[in-house]
Amino acid sequence: MGAKVPRNFRLLEELEKGEKGMGAEACSYGLSNNDDLLMSDWNGTILGPPHSVHENRIYGLKIHCGPSYPDVPPEISFTSKINLPCVDPRNGKVDPTKLPCLVQWKREFTMETILIELRRYMALPQHKKLPQQPEGSTYD
Amino acid sequence: MTTPKRIIKETERLVAEKVPGISAVPHDDNVRYFDVKIDGPSQSPYEGGVFNLELFLPDDYPMTPPKIRFLTKIYHPNIDRLGRICLDVLKSNWSPALQIRTILLSIQALLGAPNPDDPLANDVAQKWKEDEKAAIETARQWTQQHAKA
Repeated sequence: MGAKVPRNFRLLEELEKGEKGMGAEACSYGLSNNDDLLMSDWNGTILGPPHSVHENRIYGLKIHCGPSYPDVPPEISFTSKINLPCVDPRNGKVDPTKLPCLVQWKREFTMETILIELRRYMALPQHKKLPQQPEGSTYD
Repeated sequence: MTTPKRIIKETERLVAEKVPGISAVPHDDNVRYFDVKIDGPSQSPYEGGVFNLELFLPDDYPMTPPKIRFLTKIYHPNIDRLGRICLDVLKSNWSPALQIRTILLSIQALLGAPNPDDPLANDVAQKWKEDEKAAIETARQWTQQHAKA
């Protein structure tokens, strides 16, 4: 069942949810250019999970939704420096083969799904104490 | 998933009884998703322009209205920068008795009669109220620039 919601209307739904702040408190996202009729580029933030090295830090991310989104996942990268196994240390790019929700992408998943999962990934016992760069450092 | 009769009928009628200056063609891979073209009404700043829109019939259509937005940039107080449209029949005044055809006619009428007192694009609406002549001129320029086939 279910009509297949086309890309642009799906992104409008996500935009409205993000603008109204109806999503999870610890993550946010919005369009990086309010004039972009194609709604391709987004900014996201993740508030570092408590009881981890990330506590009280805010991480910035860039999300790119291509023409085939949401049939394929978006490209996502951290703009704030972070040391995590699923993130390329040279440029902050999230490796789509290492984050479960990207590996097993489903059309119902949203940008928020990814941000929440990244936050959970940061809080995993094996990740939460990884040494990190000083707060506020970014990839060029 | 089978297509509801209502949608099939409306689509057939859109093809069989064309509305002047309006077309709506469903996508091959999604019968609920339409490419729409609307001609700017004559004697409006949109005259001579052809505006592309996209329309989607959600699961609960016709109990809820179609979703529709402009894909062509347009300078209009009731249409925002992402092409979203502020129109009562798309929101609180929707009725299942309305159809794709009636909605598209309402949008064409909205192009001919901008309503700056119920704005979606606040900056545009303000210009429209302060200096209507200049706003209309901008709308005309945008039409030339963005809506030429």
